[in-house]
Amino acid sequence: MNQVLEFVEIILGLLLLVLALALTIFFWMRESNRGPGVARRLRDIPAFNRFRRAVGQSVESGKRLHISLGRGGVMDTPGGATLEGLTILDCCTRAASVSDCPPVATSGESVTAVLSQDTLRNGYASLGAERRYTPTNGRMSGFTPLSYAAGVLPDIHDEQVSASIFAGHFGSEIGLLIEAGERANGLTVAGSDSLPAQAVLYASAQEPLIGEELYAGGAYLGAGKAHIASLFMQDILRWVVIGLILLGAILKLVGVWP
Amino acid sequence: MAVRKILSVGNALIAIVAGALVLLGYLLPNLLGGLRQYLIQLAVTLTAFAVLLGIVNLASVHWKRATAPKAGASNVYSAVLLLSLVLTVLLVGFSGPTGFWSVWLVSTFQIPVETSLVAVLAIVLLFAAARLLSRRLHWASLLFIGAAVLVLLGMAPLPFFGEIPFLSNVRQWLSSIPALAGARGLLLGVALGTVATGLRILMGVDRPYGD
Repeated sequence: MNQVLEFVEIILGLLLLVLALALTIFFWMRESNRGPGVARRLRDIPAFNRFRRAVGQSVESGKRLHISLGRGGVMDTPGGATLEGLTILDCCTRAASVSDCPPVATSGESVTAVLSQDTLRNGYASLGAERRYTPTNGRMSGFTPLSYAAGVLPDIHDEQVSASIFAGHFGSEIGLLIEAGERANGLTVAGSDSLPAQAVLYASAQEPLIGEELYAGGAYLGAGKAHIASLFMQDILRWVVIGLILLGAILKLVGVWP
Repeated sequence: MAVRKILSVGNALIAIVAGALVLLGYLLPNLLGGLRQYLIQLAVTLTAFAVLLGIVNLASVHWKRATAPKAGASNVYSAVLLLSLVLTVLLVGFSGPTGFWSVWLVSTFQIPVETSLVAVLAIVLLFAAARLLSRRLHWASLLFIGAAVLVLLGMAPLPFFGEIPFLSNVRQWLSSIPALAGARGLLLGVALGTVATGLRILMGVDRPYGD
């Protein structure tokens, strides 16, 4: 029986992955066929609207954007949130490339720090402004959760930050970081994959991103049509998973599922 | 330029093939489990080198700050950090990672400092909860604060009243039914978001490793 269940689990996992891939490709092609002037209307997420405005204002006022990528790496479960944070960093780098104060990215994991430097460099290179790239703008701030928080606090205080976005894996220490952003009189937008961090950021951030809203960052900040396609895929797959959960509950109720 | 293009395509190919093999290794452990394990070991080795780069990055950021012409508290903090880094490397190198001096460093400096930050965090969270009511006063905020207060009251015996069974039962119900259901809903969204992000990497659309 266990072998059968294991087999069903593998088949279901594979089917869901294939379905997710097929849906992403389908929506990506559909989005690519839309004309460049035809904008896709997405559900309103106030956090990203305010952050887009804050990016523009930071360029005008000569202040800096701070992107905190958290203390998650890309090799474990928080990898998704970290990679989304890197996408947001890429969008910010391109948007603020003309600013006198380039964005600064902080992270609490060394691989993420290296990737943040790569993202900054690629962002400038793609705009032909490689000279503006400074390696120390992608910073490793600390190796433990609280040392990371302690390392980021002076960056927020001293770097004339006008807006901070916290996108990645955090714990409850995100409360200290958001408080520092508030004290710097800047906008604070925060999202995380961790539930304790989501509880803290809901209470403390000016614009919290709850649940999957964090993963919509690329689509809302103009990272490309594949990101919009991902959103549609997630919407459909959510209903598929809900259907599977209900089916499993019914099968268990009638005694078919052990 | 051509070399750069070839490198870019090569990087993308390596990432896509390695990612796909690791993913399939989870779903087909008998067929690709060994290969998945090998690729993960390679990545772990690379991560160890990345830690060294991280330390160099940390030191260079603080060196720049400590030697900046604008004198201020930050210069001193960065100088203290650099001094601590050198002393830690020397002491841990001298006594070994589990030696007396290494344990002394952690228990005398790191644990007390981190504990004091946790204490500050408690105050910050209390302040944030109060600010939430003034900033976003609507039903969701009230529900959030109300649930948090009920859970806190139900967690420990109250002064003069002792443990109130009603509050303990409410806390138990809140934690095991609505909070659990909400947490699972959020985690479902996070999992789908992670799948979407992973697929974009596998498709070569997102390339955090460089174009």
